[in-house]
Amino acid sequence: MGKKKVISLKDIWKIYQMGEESVHALQEFNLDIDEGDYIVIMGPSGSGKSTFLQITGCLDKPTKGELFIDGVNTSRMKDHQMAGIRNNKLGFVFQQFNLLAKMSAQENVALPLVYSGVSLRKRMERAKELLEQVGLGKRLKHRPNELSGGQQQRVAIARALANNPPVVLADEPTGNLDSRSSEDILNILKDLHNSGKTIIVVTHDPEMINEGNTVVHILDGQIEKIERRT
Amino acid sequence: MELLIETARALIANKTRTFLSMLGIIIGVTSMIAVVSIGQGATAGITERVSALGSNVLMITPGFSGGSGGRSFVGLSDVLTKKDVENIAKMCPDVKDVTPVIQNQFPVKYTTNNTQAQIYAAYPNIFDILSMNVEYGRRLSLQDLDDYAKVGVIGSEVARNLFGTDEPLGKTVYMGVSIGNTNKKIPIRIVGKLEQTGSKLMYNPDKMIIIPFTTAEGRIVNTKGNVSTILASAKDSDSSQKAQLEIDQVLYLRLQDGDKYNITSQDSILGAVSEVTGIMNIFLGSIAAISLLVGGIGIMNIMLVSVSERTREIGIKKALGATRKRILSEFLIESIVITFVAGVIGVLLGIALSKAVELAASAYDLETQVTWGSIMIAFGTASMIGLFFGIYPASKASKLSPLEALRYE
Repeated sequence: MGKKKVISLKDIWKIYQMGEESVHALQEFNLDIDEGDYIVIMGPSGSGKSTFLQITGCLDKPTKGELFIDGVNTSRMKDHQMAGIRNNKLGFVFQQFNLLAKMSAQENVALPLVYSGVSLRKRMERAKELLEQVGLGKRLKHRPNELSGGQQQRVAIARALANNPPVVLADEPTGNLDSRSSEDILNILKDLHNSGKTIIVVTHDPEMINEGNTVVHILDGQIEKIERRT
Repeated sequence: MELLIETARALIANKTRTFLSMLGIIIGVTSMIAVVSIGQGATAGITERVSALGSNVLMITPGFSGGSGGRSFVGLSDVLTKKDVENIAKMCPDVKDVTPVIQNQFPVKYTTNNTQAQIYAAYPNIFDILSMNVEYGRRLSLQDLDDYAKVGVIGSEVARNLFGTDEPLGKTVYMGVSIGNTNKKIPIRIVGKLEQTGSKLMYNPDKMIIIPFTTAEGRIVNTKGNVSTILASAKDSDSSQKAQLEIDQVLYLRLQDGDKYNITSQDSILGAVSEVTGIMNIFLGSIAAISLLVGGIGIMNIMLVSVSERTREIGIKKALGATRKRILSEFLIESIVITFVAGVIGVLLGIALSKAVELAASAYDLETQVTWGSIMIAFGTASMIGLFFGIYPASKASKLSPLEALRYE
């Protein structure tokens, strides 16, 4: 039974020009991610895993190569089309949480819905629902600085789910958290995976090896090895 | 509409930043409106003072004075004569009153008090021509003129100098006149006192003593028919110019030289004054422009700072799917709201400030004038600057890839 490819990188190159020197952050990178996969991208710093996340997350364009998301080739997309992909196909979770400080938890979660044109009442309802799902039903009106790191990251996850995207991209989601909060976050990601979402986590934390069904090791902008577990 | 509500919420959430952004616009608009209104008020005030001269007064003075030998009445010219006065009265239909004036400054004395007074020797109609009223006592009469009466009406300042708080009516003051080598003391009995008026630009009733023309001519100095000036009034302010032309014709007919005499009217003084006020307006306008520029730089700075502070926010929003257009319209609406609200506050403060200056300077009767023109220019300029510096840096930031914006610290 062939699974649907939700993300597919075909011969992706990313070259940064640093003054005279050009840095090959990704070279000849090929990867297919199936719907419902839980992929951990592992590698030391400078290995190109952040670049991978940025390219895959449509935050940056590759120098060369093609990226398919949900079967659609994004290589020739215009800015606003890329924005649309980021808005409803992908959900981002950052190491730094990246919540807007002046907005309440609920407003933060509702923000992606603003850009997909959902009405105020509906998006507030949806945001409330999502916050309840991540166990923050009582923290709707709190500002990010009134929440702990773990709570902030849960708000960020709720935000990533706002438009019910098929893929959640997480960049060192536990990097700024203590072990207990980290566990909470990993459990939430596991639940999401079980509910059918495709999860991609980028990390250099070896403990994450036990998460997910596939671990992709990256070194020097190339795939070193892929471990699949059942 | 929804974007507007969102913006309003964001602005309220960021009170400090919003206030700082507004401050530059408020200062620029306020100072511009206040400076212009004070300037225009001052101009109007000066013009008004010139107008106090009386719009229908005409003053005929010799163009250049050649002495006639008499050293005493140096103000007396040999250009203008009593005959001219008769001709003007006869031949100028738009002239209502006309009087010859022999005028000079003399020391006057009462008991031990001395002061200087402007002695105006004229016909009784000088009171009408210069719109002078007596506070008490009486004016000069035609009878005084016939009698060569040694009587006078005294100005308030001279009266105060000579009599202090005493009643001047009926008292006799002595006028010191020196002709050749002889010094004469002419007694003048005070029959009336003028209302205090303050200076009228060309003359000051407060410093005058007005005596009958005949008294000066017959008893003090032999003028051989010459006079120092001629004062006339037109029938009304509209006929002022016609009256001036008529007088000009009469005088030119006799003197054959327009340089020998000047006819001064309120209009001609206003002409000169408007040059001065014109310069003043340029001066004040420059100050206003500078204050607007300073305000503009303030707007620019805070907008630039707030955008770089918000680059990260722009990055987050883009990562969550906001398009460039969306980000730009957020900033555009925000700038519009900020500049509009700040502009309105600035206009109100500007009006308040000019009123405050008016109160503070009430001693000078300064009436500041807030005009629509200054409001439009101040508001318009500040809004343009505010909009430009609200949108331009945001436009730059929205072009960054979400990634760069997110990395921005």
